[in-house]
Amino acid sequence: MIFSGNEYLTENRHANEWIRFGKTAADSRMNLTIEKLAQALELPAATVERWIRQGRIPIRRNGADCVFNQSALEKWAKTHNLPFALPGKTVESKSVEAPETLFEAMSRGGVHHGIKGDTVESVLQSAVDRIDFLHAPARSELYQRLVEREALASTGIGRGVGIPHPRTPIPGGIEQPVIVTCFLEKPVEYRAVDDQPVFVLFILINTTIQQHLRLLSRLSYCMRSDEFVRFLRTTPGSEAFLNTIDEFEKRLDSADS
Amino acid sequence: MIPMKRFWRYPAKWALFRWDDRLLLIVMGVIVGVCSGLAALVLNRSLIAMLDALHAYRHFWWAFVLPAVGAMLSALFLEKIVKEGPGHGVPEVIDSVLRYGGLLRFRSSFSRLISACLTIGSGGSAGPEAPVVISGSAIGSNIAGFFSLNERQRVTLVGCGAAGAIAAIFNAPISGMIFAIEVIIGQWSALNIIPIAIAAVAGTQVSRRLQGNQIAFSHRVFDIGFIDILACLGLAMLTAVMSILLTRMLRKMHGVSTRTDLSVWYRAAIGGAAVGGLAILLPDVLGEGYHAIGSMISGHYPKGLAIAGAMMLAKILATSLTLGWGGSGGIFAPCLVIGSFSGLFWQRFLSSVWPAVPWVDEGCFALIGMAGMVGGMLQAPLTGIFLIVEITGGYDVILPLILVSAISTALCHYVEPASFYLKDLVEKGRFLLPGTDGRVLADLSVDELLEKDCIVVHQNLLLREFINIVKKSHRNHFPVEDEKTGQFLGMVSLDDIRPFLFDVVMYDTVFLEQLMRKQVETADPDDDLAVILQKMDTKHLYSLPVIDNGRFVGMLSKATLLDQYRRELRVQTPY
Repeated sequence: MIFSGNEYLTENRHANEWIRFGKTAADSRMNLTIEKLAQALELPAATVERWIRQGRIPIRRNGADCVFNQSALEKWAKTHNLPFALPGKTVESKSVEAPETLFEAMSRGGVHHGIKGDTVESVLQSAVDRIDFLHAPARSELYQRLVEREALASTGIGRGVGIPHPRTPIPGGIEQPVIVTCFLEKPVEYRAVDDQPVFVLFILINTTIQQHLRLLSRLSYCMRSDEFVRFLRTTPGSEAFLNTIDEFEKRLDSADS
Repeated sequence: MIPMKRFWRYPAKWALFRWDDRLLLIVMGVIVGVCSGLAALVLNRSLIAMLDALHAYRHFWWAFVLPAVGAMLSALFLEKIVKEGPGHGVPEVIDSVLRYGGLLRFRSSFSRLISACLTIGSGGSAGPEAPVVISGSAIGSNIAGFFSLNERQRVTLVGCGAAGAIAAIFNAPISGMIFAIEVIIGQWSALNIIPIAIAAVAGTQVSRRLQGNQIAFSHRVFDIGFIDILACLGLAMLTAVMSILLTRMLRKMHGVSTRTDLSVWYRAAIGGAAVGGLAILLPDVLGEGYHAIGSMISGHYPKGLAIAGAMMLAKILATSLTLGWGGSGGIFAPCLVIGSFSGLFWQRFLSSVWPAVPWVDEGCFALIGMAGMVGGMLQAPLTGIFLIVEITGGYDVILPLILVSAISTALCHYVEPASFYLKDLVEKGRFLLPGTDGRVLADLSVDELLEKDCIVVHQNLLLREFINIVKKSHRNHFPVEDEKTGQFLGMVSLDDIRPFLFDVVMYDTVFLEQLMRKQVETADPDDDLAVILQKMDTKHLYSLPVIDNGRFVGMLSKATLLDQYRRELRVQTPY
């Protein structure tokens, strides 16, 4: 019957549902709105509309919908070197993870008090020894890298704070960024930018550079605050420290938005 | 949902055609071919009837006013009743194919038939081919519109109409097909050729059914020697010169007539009267002139070198007078007539200079001259070759035909790079072949290139607030709108304010109003992309804000343009 296709074409079905699945590839026909199709072809809708009008693309208009044969359109897109991916067919980009916060990284790393040592190397050594979530070879690797980094330039960022970190992420070490907070037993000469001895170290261990920069930027926001530095000088306990960090981060987020 | 009653208007949805839309075009091609074939026959029959009716008055002294009256009526009809421009109209068809997807008005399918019938039937020197081509094309275009076909399909049907018309009027299917592809569509692709071929067959069949399978100018077999082929080189040059002369004369006459202050029908009447006056001396200049061609090919044309030369020039003059002054009709038939006179002249010239050489019959040279003239004038060598082969039913002259047609086309191309049909379009910059820079830019609209991910700011923002916005943005340009009215005020570009970004003192002291650039180049959504690009090139800009009625609508950047341009080019280039 010659009109047999009519009902398929005018029925308003869900966008990426098969309208008809015939025996041959030439029979597989789909209905999509122009906007959806334009997205699939990564083109402006106006261009798709014009191409349909000009007959440059194997699609027919049916009101606001386009009717097309999927395999024919795929072939057409391929011969013209155009992208074509139907929505829903490809896996959407992974759900965007909530960006890492200092609070989470610091909770994972833990807060340690009374780190012993008189020199940069010795405090780093005793700080790294406290890291219990790394096994011994990883700890010594981390120590090596921290010392290497300190040799390049001091990570003492002033006001008695040091942020030792490896220059590049350690491969295969950890899965999530970690900040280990270490309050020193006594301030240590650290060749810091303001020549003040360092009394607290934040060891930043990251999996990617982006995370490192993001956490560093958040940490430096806290450091700019006199109130925060005064608070650090009191050598707070683990819980009080993390609560304060959380509070500062909230302030930072609200200032940003 | 489309009601069932109207379903037949959307054949593209029928199961059969959904399977393959080429079938649809073939079926449509048959319909268009038949219709345009009929249109061609109508004009042909009415021309004959009109010539017969007026024949009785030809011997009166006042007969010279007949072409004047005919041309005047034709101009009046075109100007006042159907409101179409004068001239032969083929450029309009080509223009519509190139730029408007073959869109033609319905009235074009009959208007030129009537006006051409008046002009030519009364004795004006013009051809009936261009009018039937236009009416065939318009029929094709309107059938495509009726069945809601897309532009590519419509262009093919316009070609089908032209092919059917030429095929029917000359009883020459191959010429119809080649004319449509070579002259009207200008592109060879398998998608076009098949429906056009079918339409040519349909048009020819209609013509054969209704007026018999006659070959227009049948002739005896010519015995062409090597020396004749050599002589053809001279003929090629002669026809090339005549083509250029006719092109220039037509345009010159048109220029002269438009400079006069007379109204269109007055002008047409003057042209017609001049032709009528010329016809007192040389009556063969009248009408489309096929009778003269017939007698030349059969070798019965009055003897004498001078008469052939005079007729050749007189026909050029008469055609220029008729068409240049506002008569309606085509140049195809005059081309054939002038071509055959050129051939005749050349043969008679050779015979008088070297009487001892056994030159082939003058009819043969007349044939070859026609091909040379068509090739030169239309810059369509294949149309010339196949038309002559078909209308004379002789394959024996093919070698000199090809030679003369090719050489004449090449020579004319050297002097007049654009064919007569395309000259106007090229001059107006409207000859835009698919896949060329001009065409790609003409097709793309500003709308398709707009980038709307810009962050709009207002003029009362402090630099500090602005820097917070910059942190989150991905772009370097920020349009500034008036806080209250929403009018576009100017642009802030990161490049301009970079030095201030690190100056904390300025954060709370400077407003965006002080930082923005007020004199910025902008584009309008309706601007031509070619113009916008020109602006960008001369001002060394990479992006422009697009402003519609004082409001910012988006950015236009060269990077996006390049992406879109490449896609467009890929889609337009035939594969």
